Order: sequence, then C-alpha cells, then structure tokens
Amino acid sequence: MDHQITTASDFRNTSIPNLYQLDTLLRCHICKDFLKVPVLTPCGHTFCSLCIREHLNNQPSCPLCLFEFRESLLRSEFLVNEIIQCYTSLRPSLLNAIRVQRPVAATGADKISNSKDSSLIELVSEPENENSSAVDDDLQIVATSERKPAKRSMTDILPISSKSSKRNFTMFRSERIRKKSKPNEQMAQCPICEQFYPLKALEKTHLDECLTLQSLGKKPKPSINFLPDSKSHGKETPEPRLRTPELDRSPSDETSHVDKYLGSMANTERQRLPKINFTSMNQSQIKQKLSSLGLSTNGTRQILIKRYNHYEMLWNSNFCDSLEPVDEAELKRQLLSWDVSHNKPPQNANNNGGISKLMMMKNRGKSSYRKLLEDFKNDKFNRKGWIIMFRRDFARLIKEAKLKIKTVSPTDRDLGEQANKKDKGDSEQQVENIQEASWQRIEEDQEAAVSEKQAINEIILPNEDLTDADLSRELMDMNEGDKDPPGSD
Amino acid sequence: MASLPKRIIKETEKLVSDPVPGITAEPHDDNLRYFQVTIEGPEQSPYEDGVFELELYLPDDYPMEAPKVRFLTRIYHPNIDRLGRICLDVLKTNWSPALQIRTVLLSIQALLASPNPNDPLANDVAEDWIKNEEGAKAKAREWTRSFAKKKPE
Repeated sequence: MDHQITTASDFRNTSIPNLYQLDTLLRCHICKDFLKVPVLTPCGHTFCSLCIREHLNNQPSCPLCLFEFRESLLRSEFLVNEIIQCYTSLRPSLLNAIRVQRPVAATGADKISNSKDSSLIELVSEPENENSSAVDDDLQIVATSERKPAKRSMTDILPISSKSSKRNFTMFRSERIRKKSKPNEQMAQCPICEQFYPLKALEKTHLDECLTLQSLGKKPKPSINFLPDSKSHGKETPEPRLRTPELDRSPSDETSHVDKYLGSMANTERQRLPKINFTSMNQSQIKQKLSSLGLSTNGTRQILIKRYNHYEMLWNSNFCDSLEPVDEAELKRQLLSWDVSHNKPPQNANNNGGISKLMMMKNRGKSSYRKLLEDFKNDKFNRKGWIIMFRRDFARLIKEAKLKIKTVSPTDRDLGEQANKKDKGDSEQQVENIQEASWQRIEEDQEAAVSEKQAINEIILPNEDLTDADLSRELMDMNEGDKDPPGSD
Repeated sequence: MASLPKRIIKETEKLVSDPVPGITAEPHDDNLRYFQVTIEGPEQSPYEDGVFELELYLPDDYPMEAPKVRFLTRIYHPNIDRLGRICLDVLKTNWSPALQIRTVLLSIQALLASPNPNDPLANDVAEDWIKNEEGAKAKAREWTRSFAKKKPE
C-alpha cells in the first residue's frame, strides 16, 4: 500500500469523478501523498508533519500563503489524521465499487431493465448470506459453471486486486441469479423502505417487519431480519450504499477510527527538542550535543548541524505530533538511512582500506547491492546477504587491520581498559588509535538497540576521522556479531 | 543517488498524461530529474510564433528547493539573459514546496507574455525595452524567427 502510487486522477474513470476533489484535499501539498501525521499551521493550512518541518528548516513560512511562523506553533490535527486513515483504508474498495459499475453495465445487457442503477452496488456488498438458503447453493453451481468467461472479461477491463476478485465474483454470481430468477419471480418495491424485494417475500414477511420497525420509530432496516426467513434471494439486501465487504467483515474498523480520535491526546511525555543556534558553538560543543543524544559525531561541522536538525525534525514530528510514536531506536535508524542518502561520504582516496572503493564496487551486481542498501532502511535488511556480498573485502580489511595491531590483544573492551590503565604503549600512535576506537565501541555498546545497525552504518559512512583501525574493528565486530544471533532483531 | 521521491514520479506522470496546453516536459531517459521542456510563445506576444526549448533540473532537495530552469533557445527578453537564466521570483526567493513543475512552467510562459523591464536580468535588453518598446518588440520577434522553432500549425 505504501509503495503504491496513487493519484487523484484514479477517480477519472469512475461513476463519481468528482471524488477526485476529496482525494486531492486529503493530500499534502508538499509530498502530494496522503497526509501523514497532519499538522495545522497558524494560517490554517495542513501539511504532513515531516514535510512542513523540513520546509521550515529552510524557510519559516507557509508554503501555500507565505505566512511567516515558527515551528513551535504547529499543532497536530487528530481529526484529519483519522479521516485520512479511514479514507485510505476505504479507498481501494471504494474505487473498485464505483469503477466496476460501468463495465458491468456494458456487458450485462438485460439486467438494468428491471433494477435501478443503485441496486447494482447493493448487490455487490453482500457476501455473508451465501450459504443461507438452499436455492442459493443451487444457483451457485449454475453460476460457477458459467462464471469463467464472465470473469475473464472483467479482469480484462479492470485491474483487479486479488483481494477484490472474490467480491467481483460474488457480484457476477448474483447477477446470474437475478437473471435466472427473473421469469418466475416478480420484484416489487416496498412502499416503506423503498427497496426491491421478491413479491412473495414482500407480502409474506417484509411488509410486516417494515411496519413494526417503523412504528417503533426505527429506520426500517430489514436486511438481517428479512433474509433468513425468506427462502429466496437475499441478493436484494438493502445494505447502505457503497458499503464494502471489507467493512462487513470487520465492523470494528468503522468505530476504531472514531475511538482513536476520541482517545487522542497530545503527547507530553517527551520534551520537544529545541532548535539550536549553532553559530555560537564550536565543533566539539556540537559533537558533545550530538553524542549526548546518542548520535554519530562523524563528519564535518556542516554535516553535524544538518544531522542535528534532521534528528530534531524527526523527533518533534514523532513525539509531539504523532499519535503512534515509534521509539528512539527507530528514529535513529531513520536518521541513519537519511545519512546514507544525503551526506555522501567525503573523499577518502587516501584511505587505502577504501570503503569508498567498497561502495563503488561495480562488479558486484549493482542491483543487488542497491537492493540491500534500500532494505537497510527497513527491517528487512539482509545482514547475511550484505556480509556475503562483501566477504572478501571484509576479510582483506580484517587481515590488514590485524597486521597493524598484532601487538595488542583483540577484544575491544580489554583494549580499552588496557589502554586506559597503562599510558605507555609500544607505539604511542597505535595506542591512541585503539583508544579512540574502543571508546567509540563502548559508547555504542550502551546503545544496545542501535549499536549493530550503527556499526554497519559507520562502515557505509566513513570519513576522515575514521582510521583504518576503526574500520577493521567495526568489521570484526560485525562478523563476530553474526555468529551469535542478534537479540535486537 | 537517492531514490526518486514519489512526488517526482507523480508529477512526471501527470505532466505526461495531462499536459499543459502549449507546454511539454519530458524526463531524460538517463536522469529522471532532468527534463527537456518546450514552451510555445504566448499569443499576442512578440514570441507567439516560436517554440522555445528549456532544460529543467530537479535538485536533490526538491521540493524543498526550487527546480533549476534555463532557456536553451536564445531569446530577446529583459528578464532572461544571454545564458538563458531566468529572473523569476518563484524560482528564487518565492519558491514554495507547494509549487510544482507545472506551475513553474506556467509562470515562465506568463513571463513571456508580460516582460518586466523594471526588474531586469539582461540590462541592455531592459534599457532598450524601456526606451523604445516597439523597437524592442520587433527585435524580439526577429530573434524568435531566427532562433526559435516554428510553431506547428
């Protein structure tokens, strides 16, 4: 669903083309997709939380009316959020329901003669009573034998998802039934509820029920009461228009959006992250700030600032606006994938371990590499595949690294402690490198949830700060981590 | 490098399926952020008989950043310089992510219809335009004839 590209013009070939307006209104004017966590600006316009926050990072004004305002004035719109979730869940079936009408009207020649247009839709939505009567079952057999060509012609006309095909089938079947039943069954309209019923059933049971219901002051809704009684065709069930099987199956869906809206509350548990004026800060202060949030401190000053701003955006959007906030680890992963795609690794041609070389590896089959990198952003990241793909490079890097640091024992923690305890090493520079690496390691270990992915990311995102030793260390960790199943996944 | 945002795919689809009259925009095969654009000169302007070629590039930060547009066809216009750069507010300070390729190209077409010599990019053209509007328009017509493609009948 997320990966599908939908546009308002999907409604062009339906019986209600004007629905495109509704479809357009529910979309964000920045990303052109359905509003995701909508927020309201002080000027009254609505955007996705992330979209507008990203825009405000560039320019503090409303994209639609250029009204100037600060980010802190954004308010989430719970109602719109539920409306959109409700709408997007209904949209495919709605589209199908109003789209099938035309081709059916074109193929089924004789059925319109005795039914109003609307009854077609009513027919569509009524799969529960399939086995409620014997007649029905008989007809089903008849219908099934004739179904194939009909169904094929349907699929030729429309792209039908597998989900909806059953419904289409139901509809066709009921159509057949109607045709079959026409000669010996007369239809009549109930004067009270104005729906069509087989004449016999109408006289026998329905009228009474309708009258009773009316006298009780209820809106006559005979469908459920009426059907089991009548031995004949439940197909005329007057379900409300456009009710879809999806809804019928889970009526709780209908209320859950309402409940969710009623229960929605602004999240006050987490403090919003402030905007920071970086001009008065030096690099180490910025790094300190980032590391206090558990973020990577690699990269130039500009990248650090961008990284904070992006994280602040993700954080505030998630904890201040979203009704279903994800946890910090997830945010950090989103930040990492943003890092991957936006902050290209700086030139490190002199870094002879050549991560950039590793990245550029063209003979690896670009597509599978791309795919892995793509998946890196979500849960499906194929760790094994990644390791297998770069196994040779990992091995080479590890070998190189081992040659360099063979004087010291291999585990990180020991190294860190050793390096802390004794100030003199065999070669001062080496110890310094190792110390740096191990500190980094220890810090990351504390971030249990992120550490693994972060380690991988730091391989993807190398920069000048990262020495060969660091690199190989990360790689070794990764390989070790692979042997025992990671708990975080 | 980054994958193509949905928004760009949608806009491209819309441009192809529902084109603006007098404007075409086609993405390049190798780079879907690079568009080859043609704009027909608006009627009752000195450019009316010509079809002008432009290039349009969507930067990585699009839609947070304005698309980059440039005339490839030479044109005599006070707000378009010799290199084809365009002086248009929505491409610079007034860019907003709620705008899109379609609206930008429409603005450019409108700019052809109503040149603004008081906010010039090509100073000599603007001067000419202010001093002797008829002469400048005649020259613009002449340039259109010699550089722009003929509008198909």
